[in-house]
Amino acid sequence: MSAIRLECLGEACPIPLIKAQKKMAALRVGEVMIVETDHSCALKNVPEWASKEGYHVEVTEVDAGLWEIYIKKTK
Amino acid sequence: MDLRNNVYYKKFLKEPWPYTVGAVILGLLNIGMLVSTGKAWGVTSYFATWAAWIYQAIGGHPESWFYFQEKSEAAALVGGFAQNMQSLSDFGIIFGALLATLLASQFRIKKIRSWKQVAAAALGGLIMGYGARISFGCNIGTLFSGVASMSIHGWVYWIFIFFGAWIGGKLLVKYLI
Repeated sequence: MSAIRLECLGEACPIPLIKAQKKMAALRVGEVMIVETDHSCALKNVPEWASKEGYHVEVTEVDAGLWEIYIKKTK
Repeated sequence: MDLRNNVYYKKFLKEPWPYTVGAVILGLLNIGMLVSTGKAWGVTSYFATWAAWIYQAIGGHPESWFYFQEKSEAAALVGGFAQNMQSLSDFGIIFGALLATLLASQFRIKKIRSWKQVAAAALGGLIMGYGARISFGCNIGTLFSGVASMSIHGWVYWIFIFFGAWIGGKLLVKYLI
């Protein structure tokens, strides 16, 4: 299954969230987006928005201070 | 056992603390600051004092400016670093933040994405610095300490910072995304 990557390294709040919202709007149901971020605040507001929308969200710390947020467009 | 999986390590050092816990700790620390230094917590007025010292060191005379003729600013200027214990808290914030990110093992040098980002940061910093001086402080000295001191200027600041943030948000979406 392919996933769309959204690279947000070096971007501070609220840019990762706004970019994720824009990108998500273009995705089809069932597709997965991976947000790459090194901004810890994005770990709070991006998953918060995604779960409020009813999407499936998972966060993994892939390296020191580097995270990937998996969001599946479920509807 | 791996420390990274320790439940207390995760709870206290790795994961962010709840906002309410932070708020209570900040409130208590501000009381401590007021008791020990006689002044409520502030951050940015020391930046102006430091910059004035640097300007004096290269031959300027900021002491003749209106701002530095105000009683407390004039006293800060001649008092020197040792007289200004609160300004040490600015260094404390930086070292504390570094320590927290190191303990959480999240330290990372972030890349600069574009010159647009640099210009926006520099411009934003200048506007915030200017705004902080004409409103007698930043969101710490004016909002946090002002509201805690039952002063109306903290509340007025709070209302207007919403307008500023709204305009800033519009500019950000227009120019940085």
